[in-house]
Amino acid sequence: MFQSYLPMILEGLRVTLSVASVSLAIACVIGLIGASAKVYGGMAARLSATVYTTTVRALPDLLVMLVVFYGGQILLNSISDKYGWGYLDVDPYIAGVSTIGFVFGAYLTETFRGAILSVPAGQIEAGFAYGLSRFQVAFYILLPQMIRHAVPGLTNTWLVMLKATALVSIIGLDDMVHRAGLASAATREPFTFYALIGLIYLAVTTFSVLLFGALEKVSSRGVRSGGAA
Amino acid sequence: MRMKFLASIVATTMLAGTAFAEDLRIGVEGNYPPFSVVAPDGTLSGFDIDIANAICAKMKKNCVMVQQEWDGMIPALNAKKFDIIVASMTINEKRKKVVDFSNPYYDVPSRWVARKGDYKSWSQEELKGKTIIVLRNSPRAEYVAKNYPDSTVLAVDKEPAVYLELAAGRGDIAFGSSVVSAESFLKKPEGKDFEQVGDTLFLGEDADGGVGIAVRKSDGALREEVNTALSSIMTDGTYKQLSGKYFDFDVTPQSAKK
Repeated sequence: MFQSYLPMILEGLRVTLSVASVSLAIACVIGLIGASAKVYGGMAARLSATVYTTTVRALPDLLVMLVVFYGGQILLNSISDKYGWGYLDVDPYIAGVSTIGFVFGAYLTETFRGAILSVPAGQIEAGFAYGLSRFQVAFYILLPQMIRHAVPGLTNTWLVMLKATALVSIIGLDDMVHRAGLASAATREPFTFYALIGLIYLAVTTFSVLLFGALEKVSSRGVRSGGAA
Repeated sequence: MRMKFLASIVATTMLAGTAFAEDLRIGVEGNYPPFSVVAPDGTLSGFDIDIANAICAKMKKNCVMVQQEWDGMIPALNAKKFDIIVASMTINEKRKKVVDFSNPYYDVPSRWVARKGDYKSWSQEELKGKTIIVLRNSPRAEYVAKNYPDSTVLAVDKEPAVYLELAAGRGDIAFGSSVVSAESFLKKPEGKDFEQVGDTLFLGEDADGGVGIAVRKSDGALREEVNTALSSIMTDGTYKQLSGKYFDFDVTPQSAKK
């Protein structure tokens, strides 16, 4: 009974990992844009980035997801009814990753903003003094140095996000937690399956922490560490 | 360029949308045995699934099962993710405000359970001075309080706990849902020395409203189609054959027997 449900759970792990990593990529892009808007943007950019981080971080993830998925679908239905297009479906995968990416982009905006501010302004000025373009300064001077400061916050966000993906089951995506629930119901062995996915989560997070640790080490090369780094 | 890209996305989603607009999409759950269960290979089975397939055959539609987590069931119906819900949803006033229901397609009777050989019936005389175990604040608790003034009542806070108390000997006879008593007790090793006492009974339509198929408020015609299909599987014997696969008691709703 237990072994027979194992492939189903592992398929759920694939969904969980895929949703989490695509969401992370989206959140990183949004975070970088948001952080640049906050640090370098004009009045309008700063204001909209602040409104974004304030509201999104204030609302429960589940609420945002339900609003985007069902609210978006109802909006789409009313538009399509008006123009007689028939039923248009909001794909749960796209809705899921964009919502999670959108929510965690707000947290990463703050992480990246802090990281940008940790890079001494003199470094940037020196770059311009050498005649580098804005793009070159951002890519060769700012980014490599800010990663070191961003990794701890990024690691945290990734770990929280990995578990937040369980929310996608509400909108019809079959993630690992949802499948464990189904398997427990079918076999009446809740402990077995929840313990199993607990261990899987632990394995994935341990592996992630090691990976991010390595990234931190690489990005900190050449920096003298005083033990507490 | 960007507009072209956007336009192609819109076009493909529209095509995807119209491709299955003709099908009847059925929202099911998968987390409620024996009504709805997912097998290791992902296939759905159970009484709900069988009923859904049976009415689908009667309605002569191509049906697609959409598995949906319970918490998002009604929002998904109203957002047109699927057209009907066949997921053991009990008909109640609160739900009727947001969706419409078909006629009930099953109703779970109550039954008395005691140690083998202890009782012949559940008459008031036989239960005089005995302790009856029921779920607190349930229709069954009201029924016992009203009809068994000479018996002691032991009220517990969860339905399966009724049988834990019975097995532990803290009461003489249990009065509970037929499905829960079967699934969580009588079919298990710990329930092997216990049996049903007398016949099952329905407490009346107010107490057990029955379980219905939900449709959107705007889909009156579909609701009628579902009702017609339901009454035809009930008269042609399909219903009896399907329910016999899962239950050793009658789940036909009261309203369908009249």
